[in-house]
Amino acid sequence: MTGGSWLCLLSPLAGVFAITLGGTRISRRAAAWISTGSVGLAFAGALWAFLSLRSQSGHHGELTTAWTWLQSGNFSAGLTLLVDPLSSLMMLIVSGVGALIVLYSVGYMDGDDEERRYFAYMSLFVFSMLLLVEGGNLLLLLVGWGLVGLSSYLLIGFWHERPSAVRAAKKAFVMNAIGDATLALAFFALIAHTHSLSFASAFGVHLSSTAQTLVALGLLGGAVAKSAQLPLQTWLPDAMEGPTPVSALIHAATMVTAGVYLIARTHPIFEQARTVELIAAGTGALTLLVAGLIALVQTDIKRVIAYSTMSQIGYMFMGVGVGAYANGMFHLLTHAFFKALLFMAAGVVIHALAGEQDIRKMRGIGALMPLTKWCFLAGALALVGVPPFSGFFSKDSIVAATLALGWYGKVFWACGVLGALLTGLYTFRLWFLVFPGEPSPFVREHHHDHHGQEGPWTMLVPVGVLAVLATVGGWLQFAPVWHPLTTWLEPAARTLAVAEPTNRQEYFTSVVTVLAGLLGIGIAWAVYAGGRLRRPSLPFLQRTLEHKFWFDELYDVLFYRPAAATAVLLRREIEDAIVLPTGPDLARTTMDAGALARRLQTGLLRTYVLFLASGAAIVAFVFLLAK
Amino acid sequence: MILAASAGNILVWIVWLAAGFACLASGIAVVSFSNPFYSALALIGNLGSLAVLYLLVSAEFVAAAQVLVYAGAVMVMFLFVIAYVGPRLEAPWAGGPPWQAVAAVLAAGSLLTEIIVAIGLKAGGSLSHDRSVPGSFGTPAWVGRLFLTDHLLAFEITSIVLLVAAVGGVILGGHVKRGGGEAPAQ
Amino acid sequence: MSGPGTAWYLALAAFLFGTGALGVLIRRNPLIVLLSLEIMLNGANLALIAFSRHVANGAGQIFALGVMAVAASEVCVGLGLVVALHRRRLALDVDTLSELRG
Repeated sequence: MTGGSWLCLLSPLAGVFAITLGGTRISRRAAAWISTGSVGLAFAGALWAFLSLRSQSGHHGELTTAWTWLQSGNFSAGLTLLVDPLSSLMMLIVSGVGALIVLYSVGYMDGDDEERRYFAYMSLFVFSMLLLVEGGNLLLLLVGWGLVGLSSYLLIGFWHERPSAVRAAKKAFVMNAIGDATLALAFFALIAHTHSLSFASAFGVHLSSTAQTLVALGLLGGAVAKSAQLPLQTWLPDAMEGPTPVSALIHAATMVTAGVYLIARTHPIFEQARTVELIAAGTGALTLLVAGLIALVQTDIKRVIAYSTMSQIGYMFMGVGVGAYANGMFHLLTHAFFKALLFMAAGVVIHALAGEQDIRKMRGIGALMPLTKWCFLAGALALVGVPPFSGFFSKDSIVAATLALGWYGKVFWACGVLGALLTGLYTFRLWFLVFPGEPSPFVREHHHDHHGQEGPWTMLVPVGVLAVLATVGGWLQFAPVWHPLTTWLEPAARTLAVAEPTNRQEYFTSVVTVLAGLLGIGIAWAVYAGGRLRRPSLPFLQRTLEHKFWFDELYDVLFYRPAAATAVLLRREIEDAIVLPTGPDLARTTMDAGALARRLQTGLLRTYVLFLASGAAIVAFVFLLAK
Repeated sequence: MILAASAGNILVWIVWLAAGFACLASGIAVVSFSNPFYSALALIGNLGSLAVLYLLVSAEFVAAAQVLVYAGAVMVMFLFVIAYVGPRLEAPWAGGPPWQAVAAVLAAGSLLTEIIVAIGLKAGGSLSHDRSVPGSFGTPAWVGRLFLTDHLLAFEITSIVLLVAAVGGVILGGHVKRGGGEAPAQ
Repeated sequence: MSGPGTAWYLALAAFLFGTGALGVLIRRNPLIVLLSLEIMLNGANLALIAFSRHVANGAGQIFALGVMAVAASEVCVGLGLVVALHRRRLALDVDTLSELRG
């Protein structure tokens, strides 16, 4: 287990070093394959750790400490790795899906000038994410947390000649930093009370309820920022400026799910501050609706999928918020499959159309790219939650888990069902607008294939693998009947009793959500494919949705304008007026003082002797006085 | 200060006053003459009167050394150099910024005052009683014995100082190098 | 000790010292400066000898002899300087020799 975890963690890091130190001595292809190999090796390590954990009785997991990293007073933190059911699940997801996406990048980024930098960053990201999930204490988790934020920044702004990409990267980083700050504050509170950041002490000790609530709020703040939930969600759509594999890996499968992992990992803290946990669920419920609505009017293929991600993570937050940790993690798993699939299939389309991302121009491309069309369809069906695709199994169990809770549980349930309707609507709006039908003139003109195939094999193989996984992956757990995943995760994250629905509730919810999803698909077909229904024209609603509920404008007025004005004011009043002249003024004063002192050096012997004699007289006088 | 006047005492007092007056006068003369030659001669007179004063306090060897070394050797050196350099007449108070004269008088005067004050006020009582001295006090034999026993280190170091001075003197006064060294007139 | 007490000797020494100091401060000819310096040293010597008699300790006389030796050395070097100045045709005036001006 230890060996597996270390291999998993360190091989992407070794990849980073190899590519960075190789520099231009290694070819771009070599860098790409080094990165892919390192992440593949990480998957092997994760598998090894998983298998040895399985063979351990009780599956409690193992903490291994390499050395004590930090020691200050009575606080000490070690370089500790944890392999337990939850972390091994995440390790498998991150390294497995990560390996597929890095393989895909080999084809997608082929020919880019700065390929080596890209692959170094990708390996760095995988290492950071693995550090986050394998961290055996909260300090290492924080380190991984920060590093994934950094990798995200580096990769969003990868094409740094584009100002929009740079701006998006900065926005992502700043909003993540807000979350990092609240997280750090929560950790400070923990250290102040328990003098330790180990999991055992953080989860075992009982703090006063205010302290517990504050810590939980801080953790929630971090999770909300990293997972792009309301109100810190505005960075995720802009993050689509990065290359498509980046969107697939970071902003769909792994980094944005770190918030969900955090809540699942620190669930004992949240359970002692139940209100905050329910706030998390409420945030998820609200986000899933808002994101679903905004996705209805997006015209960029990647933005639709981004909002879909936001919405699905809302589901996950709802799941872990009510206490159904295993359900939330299951949806994380299936979401990783089908969301990465959707992004990568979209990437194949974008690649074939030489960078075009506007869906209004892409009509009918399915005729020219059938393989992509069917894979995308599989992903879309999984996303909507149509049986037997994977999303059905995971999403419905989350919605069902909210039923037992009370009046707000019913509200969450309603949100979940409504969200399923919206999911069907926007997903199939996308599918119907892009894939079926006659190819548009734009498509005919710009489409180019790759030596007779839809794309290079490095791009098609991962898409195919994920399509299979998205189709059958859900059969891992069908809550009422067989639930190996819940059992597996029990030692690490036991589902709360209040979040365990009865079988009847489970079946009922499944039926309702599937019907809602199919209804959404039907409406989308009627409006966008058949033209039987006309799209309602509600200009105000349309404008609000297009402006993403005016969040960007609100933040601009609330935060950016005052900050910019303050900066200008400070610059004018303090920097230009006081600070900048200080240097020259100081210099001039010193020179003047020196000139004054220079006048003592007359060069005349008599002056010097006079000083001597006067000094002696004064000293003698002082002595006389003292005596 | 109680004057113990007696017959033998009167003679001592007269000699002391004469020598003291000569000392002071020649001292003032040294700093006042404009011709350095006259100043040097005044200094010789100063040294002589000091030798008399030393004799009055039973410091015979020092008095002899004063006359032989100071007046005999050092002053002769001075006279040689003054003769070599030639006549340079210079008025005492001339030159320099005006405040310099005032400041000089002040500095010297304050030094003088402080010493007087120190003697008069601070040490007044303890200065009236002299200790008795043996008959051999101040004789050459006595001084010689001191040099070679209690103060041997001072003796040796003084000899080194003299050596260094001799070397320095030779170097400074040595011939200038051929072709260089003679700086043009300012 | 018959005759004037130690205090008189010390007063005389003080006057000599002050006179010598005044001479050093106001004269421009380096030779006269050196002579004034000698006056100061002699004043110090007188004080030493007087004290030596007062406390009946020979150290004062030894010290005075040391001072005399040092004074001789110093005069030797100083006169060497004056001779060197004269050789190089520089003015014998301490006010003019001011190249170490800041």
